[in-house]
Amino acid sequence: MQILFDNLQVLFQGLALGSIYALVALGFVLIIRATNVVNFAQGDFAMLGAYGMVLFFTTLAWPYWLAFGAALVAMAIFGVLFNYGVYYPLRHRSFLPVLISTLGASIFLQNTVLAVFGPQPKPLEKMLNTDGINIGGIFLDSQYLMILIVTVALVAFTYLFFEHTLLGKKLQATSQDKDMARLLGIPVALMISITFVYSAVLGGVAGVLVGPILFVSIGMGSIIALKAFAATIIGGFGDVTGAIVGGLLLGVIESLAAYHISVPYKDAYAFLALFIFLLFRPQGIFGEKVSEKA
Amino acid sequence: MALLELRNVTSHYGNVQALKGVSLHVEAGELVTLLGANGAGKSTTLKTISGLVQATEGDVLFEGQSIKRTGPEAIARLGISHVPEGRRIFPGLTVRENILLGASNRKGVPRKQLEKEADEKFEIFPEIKPFSGALGWTLSGGQQQMLAVARGLMAKPKLLLLDEPSLGLAPLIVQNLFATIRQIRTGGMTILLVEQNANMALQVADRAYVMETGVIVTSGPADELSQTEDIKRAYLGG
Amino acid sequence: MQRLSLPWLIVLGVIGLGLALLPYQFETSTYVVQMFMQAVTYAIAVLGMVVVLGYTGQINLAQAAFFGFGAYGVALGTVSGDINFWISLGLGVGAATIAGLALGMTTIRLGGHYLAMITISFQQIFDLVLTNWIEVTHGPDGIAGIPRPSLFGYELEDDRAYLLFCAIVLYLLMFAVWWLPNTRLGRAMRSVRENQLAAEVVGVHTLRTKVIAFALSALLGAIGGGLYAGGFAYISPDNFNFMRSVEFLTATLLGGAQSPFGGVIGTVLIVQMPEWLKHLPESLSFIKDVYLAVYGLGVILIMVFLSEGIWGLIKSIRAKFVKPIARTDTTGVKPLDLELQGADAPPLLQVQGLQKFFGGLKAVDGIDIDIQRGTVHALIGPNGSGKTTSLNVVSGIYKPTGGKVVLDGEDVSQLQPHQRAGRGVGRTFQNIRLFASLSALENVMVGAQRDNNDVPDGNRGLRERAMSALDFVGMADRAHVIVRNLPYGHQRLVEIARVLAGRPKLLLLDEPAAGLNQTEKGEFVELLKRLRGHGLTIFIIDHDMGLVEKVSDRITVLNFGRKIAEGSPSEVLRNPDVIAAYLGTAGKVN
Repeated sequence: MQILFDNLQVLFQGLALGSIYALVALGFVLIIRATNVVNFAQGDFAMLGAYGMVLFFTTLAWPYWLAFGAALVAMAIFGVLFNYGVYYPLRHRSFLPVLISTLGASIFLQNTVLAVFGPQPKPLEKMLNTDGINIGGIFLDSQYLMILIVTVALVAFTYLFFEHTLLGKKLQATSQDKDMARLLGIPVALMISITFVYSAVLGGVAGVLVGPILFVSIGMGSIIALKAFAATIIGGFGDVTGAIVGGLLLGVIESLAAYHISVPYKDAYAFLALFIFLLFRPQGIFGEKVSEKA
Repeated sequence: MALLELRNVTSHYGNVQALKGVSLHVEAGELVTLLGANGAGKSTTLKTISGLVQATEGDVLFEGQSIKRTGPEAIARLGISHVPEGRRIFPGLTVRENILLGASNRKGVPRKQLEKEADEKFEIFPEIKPFSGALGWTLSGGQQQMLAVARGLMAKPKLLLLDEPSLGLAPLIVQNLFATIRQIRTGGMTILLVEQNANMALQVADRAYVMETGVIVTSGPADELSQTEDIKRAYLGG
Repeated sequence: MQRLSLPWLIVLGVIGLGLALLPYQFETSTYVVQMFMQAVTYAIAVLGMVVVLGYTGQINLAQAAFFGFGAYGVALGTVSGDINFWISLGLGVGAATIAGLALGMTTIRLGGHYLAMITISFQQIFDLVLTNWIEVTHGPDGIAGIPRPSLFGYELEDDRAYLLFCAIVLYLLMFAVWWLPNTRLGRAMRSVRENQLAAEVVGVHTLRTKVIAFALSALLGAIGGGLYAGGFAYISPDNFNFMRSVEFLTATLLGGAQSPFGGVIGTVLIVQMPEWLKHLPESLSFIKDVYLAVYGLGVILIMVFLSEGIWGLIKSIRAKFVKPIARTDTTGVKPLDLELQGADAPPLLQVQGLQKFFGGLKAVDGIDIDIQRGTVHALIGPNGSGKTTSLNVVSGIYKPTGGKVVLDGEDVSQLQPHQRAGRGVGRTFQNIRLFASLSALENVMVGAQRDNNDVPDGNRGLRERAMSALDFVGMADRAHVIVRNLPYGHQRLVEIARVLAGRPKLLLLDEPAAGLNQTEKGEFVELLKRLRGHGLTIFIIDHDMGLVEKVSDRITVLNFGRKIAEGSPSEVLRNPDVIAAYLGTAGKVN
């Protein structure tokens, strides 16, 4: 019985961790679809969001939710800057220069934050003032619960936004066929900016959510980003549902494997899962088999 | 003043000079067709009008204003709707959504109004009405073409550019499609139609131009041209 | 690639030697020597990046892992295993090469972003193993007391002696890497970088080429790492993490990925940069603190403004002063010898019941075509009738959904494009696919080096064949022009020469006259007639009926993926069904 409880406990934590991967992966996928570029600084969006919270809440001592709002606004502005600084000048080039440019951005962001905040990891308050609740022998930490709740809310919002608003449809149209979108009068450059903003905000939320669990540190984004990217491949490259399912799956695999096998290699399981998928199902869970037609 | 006028337009597609001094005009209310063999430069002509390809020399005038340096989004807002070759349906959006986005060039129209107009389009193209909620890619070629034209009409254009609408469609569907094009034209729309199906195009058009390797070689009223050997020559090189 | 002349080589050699001996000339601190040591060993790893990224165009974000293989090979071998330095280095390099082969194999179906991710994952797992497998790797503490080797009985114990030795290794490897592009393998690599599909169809075994590139990159990385371990006597996992891989990548791009010299320049700059920042005036000293941030910004700026790197900049400056070879000397070019075939033998190519479906779309739906030896056979039909798809199935780009492709009595339906090229199938593309940044001669040499082509081994034979092929199409005097700079019509001709140099049994031409003007078309018809005169079998798609009528012996007409007519030009072009298919249905608009 105790074993079952322990496993459920681990599963719960895995889902929460997976939610973080899912949020960042969602940001990844939105940018991949809009620009066909993998943004290697995606994890640093989470890192920035968390440091924004450190600045507004811990340092400036603003009320929690005001600080949260300010951090997200800052992330939105950052999304625009990122688009015009890192992606836009290279939009006509092949994927490789853009990919490397985002890598450069990642180094730049991490070290700028390092210069401002110093190397010491910062603690961050939980969202709620309670430790958590105990349901039938399983302890549900309040922050883990909030992660799950906020993720569900954000995924639902994303779904409504993309599926039920005309703006969402225009964003989708832009990612499916830019020239056609242009011919219909859809302002493509604006659509791409909006995508970056949305993706940056998603990343920021993920950072604020995970901050209290992991401590806020310069490198927190890198490892999250790699897992999130692995999640997008496992779920199906460029597939929105796949990113979410892949993220959750990775979180669960990782937590269970760490619990049952070995903790030090916790980070390796995700990559192992990735290799297995790439070998046996490279198109991912939801991916269509890559069309042959040239 | 012609609605659209091309004056000695030159343009390049990649490193090929695709247009070598093309001049043509379309008057308001006309259906003009542009004929020619593959690679003659017909599609490039349309792309140069809608801004996807920039003219290197000459000028493109729409309602008397030069649009040579205007981008495709802005040209769409001026009232030119380009239904490109290969239909270019958004595969991941539903039929209805595809139609609604056709109005992206019009600012500040309430969603309700757009939905109403979309319903009207289904009246013109009853074949696609049953698929309103289906994703674009699930449609057959003929249905996709209907959808592409319906989407183009949502822009409420002053000029409709149609690029090879009959491409890859079975004969019966082509007849059906051209009947609809004639119907749209009767409703007062100005259309520039690029076609490889010369027989059909000449039946619905007022005037025609024939292109060969980037230049216009013949032009005239459609019924006259259909009697000449020029047309056969343009296609079969004989 | 521009060849350096002998005087230049000597100058470079002298400069290099001078630099290597620099530590000898001054009474330098250990610190400075170490910096040189770092630059030299990193540069060797960067040479690997030049091969895989610069030459072959494959992203590799795991070079630090390969570097680590070499370093840990030496460290574990000498310290834990008490084995000789050279044997340890060999083991490390061997392990790295095997890992490189494995990583290269993943390119069989994954490129681009996937490859970036795979290599990062590999890098991360390597890092995790180094840190956590403490019993073997000593974990985060690293390994100390790594000895230096002796060479021919001479102990390289002294810092400067060891550095000199490393510098010489770097030199030798640098010149080897510099030599590589003009070998068969190097040309294959560059053709993969420029246009993988075209490379495969021309006869390059693209997968093997990419795997070798990764293996070479791993090998060079491990040599650098092994020497690094000897140089610093102490290593720990943080010398070999992802950031180091990014550093190698940045050095490569900064210097110019396509040149080993550029790579070395880039490495020196990257290693020296923190040093220079130390000498900044007081007012600018804050930059020191944000050095890595500046570095990240630098990466973006390089991508935006200096896409060819410093070496590319040097080359473009040089190009302003040095006139490129405008006319290539064509004296002594031999005429192209094209195989003659008996016209009474069975058909050269038999397409039987061929089908190719894409999902529900039946692009080709059961066609039969026999192509007789020594004839020109045309395939025509309206847009979307399945012509190019058929050609793609014949050349192996697509596998058929049903039916067979039989070449010379052998069923080749399941063979890869390069295997078919090796059996004498050559083709050109509708939208020219040349290797844009290679010269016309190099493009054609890639065509000449297909499997089973009877050219003498070595560059000389290939070059002679390529010049003959260029001469045949009238482009011999433009042999040294980078094809990107050629006018469109000339590019068409180079593409045909590239196929002819492989001396094909069967020549597939996909709309070869598209985009040509009337004069060029006329010349092209003459070229086709000459080819037929040599007994070549040609299968051609074109929309210009005048041209098709002039050159072809037989015509097959497709519509909606099916054959609707076949026969001599005069029969087919008067066939009412064909006329209807082209002019559109004779139906009335209701």
